[in-house]
Amino acid sequence: MSNNKVVIIGGGPAGLEAARTVSDLGYAAVLIEKRQRLGGTPDEEQYAKLTHHFRDAAEAMDEMVAAASGPGVQVLTHTQVTSVEGEAGNFRLTVQNGGAPQTLEAGALILATGFKHFDPGRETQYYNYYTYPDVITIADLEGMLKAHKVVRLSNGETPKRVAFIQCVGSRDRQIGNEYCSKVCCGIASKQAIEIRQLLPDTQVFIFYIDMRMYGYWENELYWPAQEQYKVNYVKGLASEILAKGDRLLIRGEDTTMSRPMEVLVDLVVLSVGMEPSDGTREMARLLGLTQNKYGYIAAGGPGGLDPVATSRPGVFVVGAAAGPADMDDSIATAGLAAARAVALLRRQA
Amino acid sequence: MATNAANWNPGKITDKYPGVPYEEKLRLFAEVKADARYEDYLYGCYECGICVSACPSARFYDYSPRVIAQTMAREDVNRMYEILVEDIWNCAQCFSCVRCPRQNSPGGLVTLIREIAVRNGIKETRDVLQGYSRVIYKVMLKGNQVSPDMLQPDFFPDWGPWVRSFQGNMNLWRQAIPVDSLRGVTDAAWKTDDQTLRELYTIWFETGNIDLIAEIDEGLYELLLDVMEEALEDWA
Repeated sequence: MSNNKVVIIGGGPAGLEAARTVSDLGYAAVLIEKRQRLGGTPDEEQYAKLTHHFRDAAEAMDEMVAAASGPGVQVLTHTQVTSVEGEAGNFRLTVQNGGAPQTLEAGALILATGFKHFDPGRETQYYNYYTYPDVITIADLEGMLKAHKVVRLSNGETPKRVAFIQCVGSRDRQIGNEYCSKVCCGIASKQAIEIRQLLPDTQVFIFYIDMRMYGYWENELYWPAQEQYKVNYVKGLASEILAKGDRLLIRGEDTTMSRPMEVLVDLVVLSVGMEPSDGTREMARLLGLTQNKYGYIAAGGPGGLDPVATSRPGVFVVGAAAGPADMDDSIATAGLAAARAVALLRRQA
Repeated sequence: MATNAANWNPGKITDKYPGVPYEEKLRLFAEVKADARYEDYLYGCYECGICVSACPSARFYDYSPRVIAQTMAREDVNRMYEILVEDIWNCAQCFSCVRCPRQNSPGGLVTLIREIAVRNGIKETRDVLQGYSRVIYKVMLKGNQVSPDMLQPDFFPDWGPWVRSFQGNMNLWRQAIPVDSLRGVTDAAWKTDDQTLRELYTIWFETGNIDLIAEIDEGLYELLLDVMEEALEDWA
């Protein structure tokens, strides 16, 4: 007799959507989150607006939390999974939430443990992130945008010129992250628009290798950023950032104009990419799941066409735990995994 | 003084016209942007290069329609000034560049900028146009600028496979065209009819453009004046 419950590990957008859908399909969901709060990285990192549709991030996460808070979902916050035994249909989990370890049973597991932002100081001092206070990341900038106050951390002044540098920690064999992080082009363009809205006299540059504005991001973000907000896209990455007086000198090549490029700016924003979160790596190890060379959970199944299948039957992966994902990807895979998990329970009932 | 991070500047970004005050460049830039046609000619540029690959001038001259759109979109005032005094005269105004997927018209921008360069009597505009005396001569006397003898088979494969044989037998083909204005003509696109030339000459006199040529190239001015006045008298 198999268990009729689906346990979802991770309370970010993907986990919330998976829990909500399992419950909507009439099965019991248990949502486990190690933080005290649900909402995942958008909540933890204080995102201002989501890239798609410029939605207020807090408001959007509140909606998702509310949708996943029906009677069919048991939420366990501040809880960590410490061991998993059994197989598809009959998993037995040990969880820890401060008190004595508890045991949970589940027919299927959905992993929604997500990503973390690339740390520009992880291996080498990328662009002097830890040296110059006016070199920040897109995650840092989200916090400033949320507070409606974009300033130079060195002196509290409004920046006259801001430069984004794309692909920091992505598409880089030297640091081992050869993949594209998929969302940073959209995020930088969104943030550039927000800066131009907040500070109309501030010039904004985006230095890039390729702008990857797939689908509707082209017409919703890239073109408006250029055409309405006069954001300056320059194809060419900075090799280094130097302090010059109290400003920062960016050195690079303006490749399409065939000329070297030096721009003095007040604030540099590093478009850091995604890496598997610590939780993703830990759960992969705990569950014995195959990981790809970057540490993400290998997904796709034998035929490559099942984006939520892992190497272990009955364990599904959603969102950025399987690789760089935007909000749409996370929600779409969450719905698919919920369907797959419920189908498994029904087959085994 | 030792080079350090604070004073380091290899000076590779050169403003080609440092003698012209930035305010003057900005004024000209604003004049271009204020033109009523501007917003229909430039949306934004993602630097795909379609305009360059379609552009005959980019093959024959040191010219890039992409740089025109890109410079305006980036609001690069110094580069725009360079365009205003140099690049614009390399454009043949054929408007092949309007195939731009963003619906920009680099050739339209060139039209605007040319007008502004001429209206403002920029010294370099006169100097640059001096080098174009032959083009002006050709346009003035033939009524057009691009001619069949410029047709090169390897330059534009999209013109079709017949280009090679046409080029090899150009005289024969042109002799065979049963149209008076085209028959045997290889050094002009077509033989412009007298009525059109008379109107063109009249326009050049009436608008004062011929006087501008006098400032650029007196020899050319005299030559054109002779031919044009004589023709106008004959027709009268």
